[in-house]
Amino acid sequence: MGGVEQAFPQLREVGAKTSVWKAPVSTISELFSHRFLVRNLIRREVRGRYRNAMLGYLWTVIEPALLAIVYWFLFVMLAGKPDEMYPVWVLLGVVTWGCFGKSLSATVNSLTGNARTLHLVYFPRTIFPVTAVGANVVVSLMGSLVILPILYIYQIPPTIHLIWVPIGIFLSGLMALGLGMMMAPLNCVQRDVAHFTRFLTRAGFFVSPVMWTAEMAMERGTWGAYALWNPMATPITMVRHGLMGKSIDLPMQYVYASMISILLFWIIGTMIFNKYERGAVKYL
Amino acid sequence: MSENAIEVRNVTLHFPKQRNAFIMLLDVLKGKKRRFTALKNVSIEVKRGEIIGIIGRNGCGKSTLLRVMAGIYPPDEGKSFVAGEISLLAGLGTGFSPHQTGRENAILYGSILGHNEEEMKSKLPEIIEFSELGTFIDEPIRTYSAGMKARLGLAVASAINPDILLIDEVLGVGDPNFREKSKKKILSMVEGAGTVVIVSHSFGLMKSICDRLILVHEGVISANGDPAEVIQAYHTMND
Repeated sequence: MGGVEQAFPQLREVGAKTSVWKAPVSTISELFSHRFLVRNLIRREVRGRYRNAMLGYLWTVIEPALLAIVYWFLFVMLAGKPDEMYPVWVLLGVVTWGCFGKSLSATVNSLTGNARTLHLVYFPRTIFPVTAVGANVVVSLMGSLVILPILYIYQIPPTIHLIWVPIGIFLSGLMALGLGMMMAPLNCVQRDVAHFTRFLTRAGFFVSPVMWTAEMAMERGTWGAYALWNPMATPITMVRHGLMGKSIDLPMQYVYASMISILLFWIIGTMIFNKYERGAVKYL
Repeated sequence: MSENAIEVRNVTLHFPKQRNAFIMLLDVLKGKKRRFTALKNVSIEVKRGEIIGIIGRNGCGKSTLLRVMAGIYPPDEGKSFVAGEISLLAGLGTGFSPHQTGRENAILYGSILGHNEEEMKSKLPEIIEFSELGTFIDEPIRTYSAGMKARLGLAVASAINPDILLIDEVLGVGDPNFREKSKKKILSMVEGAGTVVIVSHSFGLMKSICDRLILVHEGVISANGDPAEVIQAYHTMND
């Protein structure tokens, strides 16, 4: 073993399999070492979305605001006069749920939508779902700036608890990432997965506290209590309560259940993705 | 120890044939597999410092072989090994975003090819100069002509300096003037890279720069050796 030999790199296996069990952690270190690429890809997504639009990034705020007006109108028509904060609850629900729904469909389609790139360059494929979610979280965070006029209009004093607004949005994106990573490789084989996800997002909209609030659910007894086990109830409620200047005010079992599901989705999602993404590229 | 920069050992690679879910399920139950075998038990060794060309007809598996080396397709059987940093030049400008400027896209594409932030910052002036885009570099690239995009792509791609360089048909972009310049640049990269594997149809070029050629036919290696002889074998095969 001379010093000359050492100067040359040793043979290593191309695309050696990493342990599936380590995937939840190794994914994080891969992302960290490719942070420059992740940042650039997220920027590409966000820039591309609001190109050639006169209002540009303002659409991140306008879109949920318009939607909220429609839902508010619908609710008033169906249920009579709600309390004066109701449009705000709907607006925040729409922003947070929108982050989840868009992130989920973007993750599920992240491999199929980048088929060309997948065939031409190699970098850790986890980067595709992560940038898909990252872009949607960034857009939703910009959309959450809608709370600034709300604070002014409703004369709500800003507090440190406003930090829960971005945290809630981030958690909804993280949940979508875990769920989406379970399905993205399968979507390469059969595109039915993307259709199923679309249904899931639409149905979830009604089952989650978007048009209704956790407080309304708790007044309804048993069924309302069941509804709050939905892991998305916590991030949405977190955002709403944060705006009102308090940390999340839900029975803790719901909060724990939500946090545990986010963690489980991440663990299972990264493991499934790690196992199947390698073969999935051949179906594209 | 080993003097090889690349070792492909008994690699077999299948591509699945797409069917609907119902037929796929039936196939799984019957244990039947519908697939197209792109590479059949292929083994290649490339020595450190060697320049290898791969030739063959369209669809014979030569690009697939290159992608196995780059880690894009995992082999179904066998393994492939490389020593050092490896980079595949294919489809120049993959991932360009039409709404960002040339400068932003150069950074984006550079990061896709595996550069970190510091490397990209230090290489950017050189890239911009080589691309000959002038003030266009700060315009969105949707305003670029195809040739301009290709020039930017090549400028970024050629700024890399890997131990092993894989090139898949990226010669001949831009106007004749730039084509000459790009050919020179790629040749200088080839010299700088140490180990190179090229897939191309330009036999003239391959003959002049490659130490060895490999002929791939229907997923197997049918000739391997002196460039002139392998090109001869290619022509006899086609007759």
